[in-house]
Amino acid sequence: MHELSIVEALIEQAQKEMDRAGHRGRVLRMELVIGRLAGVSCDSVRFAFDLLAPGTPLEGAQVHIAEPKATCRCHTCDAKLEIDEITIRCPHCGGIELTIEGGRELLLQSIEIED
Amino acid sequence: MKIVAAKKILKANDQLAEENRQKLTAAGVFCVNVVGSPGAGKTTLLEALFAALDGRLRPAVIEGDIAGSIDAERIEKLGVPVVQINTQGACHLDASMIAAAAEDLDYSAIDLLLIENVGNLVCTAGFDLGEHLRIIVLSTTEGDDKAAKYPAIFQGSHALVITKADLLPHTNFDTRRIAADMKRLAPKAETFQVAALTGEGIAPAAEWLAAKCAASATDD
Repeated sequence: MHELSIVEALIEQAQKEMDRAGHRGRVLRMELVIGRLAGVSCDSVRFAFDLLAPGTPLEGAQVHIAEPKATCRCHTCDAKLEIDEITIRCPHCGGIELTIEGGRELLLQSIEIED
Repeated sequence: MKIVAAKKILKANDQLAEENRQKLTAAGVFCVNVVGSPGAGKTTLLEALFAALDGRLRPAVIEGDIAGSIDAERIEKLGVPVVQINTQGACHLDASMIAAAAEDLDYSAIDLLLIENVGNLVCTAGFDLGEHLRIIVLSTTEGDDKAAKYPAIFQGSHALVITKADLLPHTNFDTRRIAADMKRLAPKAETFQVAALTGEGIAPAAEWLAAKCAASATDD
């Protein structure tokens, strides 16, 4: 349940971005990027957001979450595959020499503020 | 109006962790984040390591627990300076808690700061505390499938300490399986097999820690 602390940090960060842009309005929409291997549950993030956003400019904002997959490159069969979860064997040939890249993103991509 | 931020959500924690690390490095304190499940034997391992180091380093401990000070009292009995953090229900320590706890420690009197994180294999993986090394503690009774099931915490660790090795004959823990998983997840990590209560295997782990600590001191 560390999603709660993540959403706390997220709300702080969004408010910082608004201050920087000199905006005091209401946030309509927020875009997040949470990679499949980030170990963060998107449902829990939404749940924590509904708990923590009230009373902040983010109250009622629509939360859009992109969930990029990771790429797994196999050094045995040279396959390059997209994966949803961490694997220690190549899904294609069963090889064990793998390089896994991406999928660990945890980003506040953008916020859309009422004009 | 749309503001494009594209910033890490835990940037605030990461920045504070970096500040913690710089302060520790500047003061010549080597810091280790000790993670593992509740009951893996983290505190018992620390006790055994201190006994093996036998005054060679000047250690201190930050104990992270959801409630109480049972672990801190055990460390205090050894004459090692200890600060207890109660997370009030939170499942992990974060960099700001370490910064606050550090105010109660005299860095000039310490060479090695061990942070015993809250017992948890999930949440502790996401929060850099400002440590120089992370050690994952896994007991034989937890099972050999933990690295495959909780890869993130194993992946970012610099050493695996398998505890309760004296119970191996009574479990179906396969050390080859965990070794194979670690080879994929953290190929550079060291693995130690210990029984902290009997002292078996503790010496090599303590030597490794002392060597890491010494190497970081000469780097400065």
